[in-house]
Amino acid sequence: MPSLENIANFIHNWLYTTFNATVALLLEFTIVAILVIGLFSVLGLVLIFMERKVSAYMQVRLGPNRVGPKGIFQTVADTLKLMVKEGMTPNNADKFLFNLAPFIVMTAAMLILAPLAFAKNFQIWDINIGVLFVTAISSVSVIGILMAGWASNNKYSLLGAMRSGAQIVSYELSAGLSIITIVVLSESLKISTIIESQANGWWIFKGHIPAIIAFVIFIIAVTAETNRAPFDLAEAESELTAGFHTEYSGMKFALFFLAEYVNIFIVCVIGATLFLGGWMPLHFGTNTTFNEMMDYIPSSLWLFGKTFFLIFVIMWFRWTFPRLRIDQLLNLEWKYLLPISMINLLLATAMAILGWHF
Amino acid sequence: MFLKEYIQDIYGAVKSLLIGMRRTGYYFTNHKEIITQQYPDNKATLNLSERFRGEVVMIHDENNEHACTGCTACELACPNATIKIITQFDISPDGKKKKALNKFVYHLDLCTMCNLCIVACPTDAIKMANTFEHSVFDRSKLTKILNNPDSKIRAGIE
Amino acid sequence: MANSSIIFYILSALILTTAILSVTTLKIFRAAIWLLFSLIGIAGLYFWLSVEFIAAVQIIVYVGGIVVLIIFSIFLTQQSGKGMQKNSLRRIIAATIAIAIGFVMTSLLIFQFDFKLENKIFDSGIAKIGTQMLSVEKDGFALPFEVVSILLLAAMVGCIVIAIKSKPQEK
Repeated sequence: MPSLENIANFIHNWLYTTFNATVALLLEFTIVAILVIGLFSVLGLVLIFMERKVSAYMQVRLGPNRVGPKGIFQTVADTLKLMVKEGMTPNNADKFLFNLAPFIVMTAAMLILAPLAFAKNFQIWDINIGVLFVTAISSVSVIGILMAGWASNNKYSLLGAMRSGAQIVSYELSAGLSIITIVVLSESLKISTIIESQANGWWIFKGHIPAIIAFVIFIIAVTAETNRAPFDLAEAESELTAGFHTEYSGMKFALFFLAEYVNIFIVCVIGATLFLGGWMPLHFGTNTTFNEMMDYIPSSLWLFGKTFFLIFVIMWFRWTFPRLRIDQLLNLEWKYLLPISMINLLLATAMAILGWHF
Repeated sequence: MFLKEYIQDIYGAVKSLLIGMRRTGYYFTNHKEIITQQYPDNKATLNLSERFRGEVVMIHDENNEHACTGCTACELACPNATIKIITQFDISPDGKKKKALNKFVYHLDLCTMCNLCIVACPTDAIKMANTFEHSVFDRSKLTKILNNPDSKIRAGIE
Repeated sequence: MANSSIIFYILSALILTTAILSVTTLKIFRAAIWLLFSLIGIAGLYFWLSVEFIAAVQIIVYVGGIVVLIIFSIFLTQQSGKGMQKNSLRRIIAATIAIAIGFVMTSLLIFQFDFKLENKIFDSGIAKIGTQMLSVEKDGFALPFEVVSILLLAAMVGCIVIAIKSKPQEK
């Protein structure tokens, strides 16, 4: 049966038997880079179209419906438009940093992709600190945003960047704590081990209440970290025109826009991996017939299904809730999410020590 | 107690957010409430809401009679001089002179569809119509005379 | 030259160039960004040494914490967008002498220290680090760990004391 694992192994073996080790390694790097860039562009097209359709139906509209059947080529047309648009640089901007910022944001998003497992044994780099690596790299993308805000030489950009910085730095805490909850339960930071530990049930089922609380906090925190509504006050249109990317146009703007959607995808993959079992099919205990039936669905489909479910939930948030004020935002984090996730972590640790989880 | 309020806060917040999400979830799954009109495609079956304000028209019945007495209440009510009423004096059968409408001039290009003239009319002679395809090549075509030629006031309206 | 040493030289070149750029640039924000790249290069060096945990912590603490803090303080400073003044000749000479002395001292230290090559596989697993961090036996880090915790707690209490709004005095 052709699975992603088999294809990857076949290519790997073929490269190493045909070329010498260095050349084969370089070729693999190239293939991975092309795949990542391809995945990013496809994701950008799919997610933006999905967002527009979801928002339309939630607002009792139809959404894009002219370009192609049901409007599915709308985002392709938009991308073409953005490509041929002039990329302007403001006169008094710090031109070097202004042009560098979108690439930093994009590179950070690409790096986070490395330890994620997309299917059974299909992973770029199964590093033994996988989850920590993800948290570490995701703190780099805030630098890109701060850089964009500063280099634009525009007060709206600067304000947006500062808000965004404060928001990401504070919500990283509770996102990290809820990730640690799962790390405590699965006793590993390695993504593949975390997924293996869910072979007899996903953590959200096995971990009872602490896992569910951690999941809810994780979803809220990553919604804030990706600067999406109801936490989109970094680019609040009604106050700051567009926040940190006010001055960007053309392809550089497109990179920021793409990075936003890719980041949503990434955090949803992480959420699916930690709480919903990653590529692990729905298993219940040792009920073999049911488990085997579930195994017939390919593992990559499981992961993408879960991920898109989470993406849909985050979009659902965006098109339902109104935007928070900055003080409400910080209150929510420091007075509610952080204490709750700390107590929750304590609970989860007690549970892991006493072996109360399944 | 502090802890009780804290938990109540969280409970209330989560509950209200879930109610909001149920609403949008309902809209997402039930497409019959979609209000988008795909305009040029569905010209024949266009479904405009009753209160949509397209332009001012004068109501005429089948005998070509209207209810306008020429009182100029609408002209006075109009905030930007869209309506100009030209009156004449009719001679009634018993020899009395009576003020009556000659021309109801309506400048569509000045109208903001504010509905004040309709509210001001004491005899409900004018109303807002649903038509909206008003583009013309010549501005003078936007100046309209609302009463039909040879129409007259309905009997019994003062 | 082995592949790994090529990567080492690339990383070192990145660290050194960005470090030099960071101290020579006349724009304060650019200095912060060059410092950021230098720190990322050091994290890359840790990855090269395959001590991934240290590398990730380097990124979290320095890139996600310190540099963001520096950038925030630049944002909140008046007139930080203007370039700094050119350094006077005296300063440049003094700085060069200081660098030379520092360089000579460090290299003397490094070359005089007798590094021993141990043929032992270095275990950089998280579990090992965790147990060692809280171990009270020989070579355990329980005491430093607790001391650092208390220091951080004190710093946090201090922050809250400074930041807290004093209630208006009731008459």
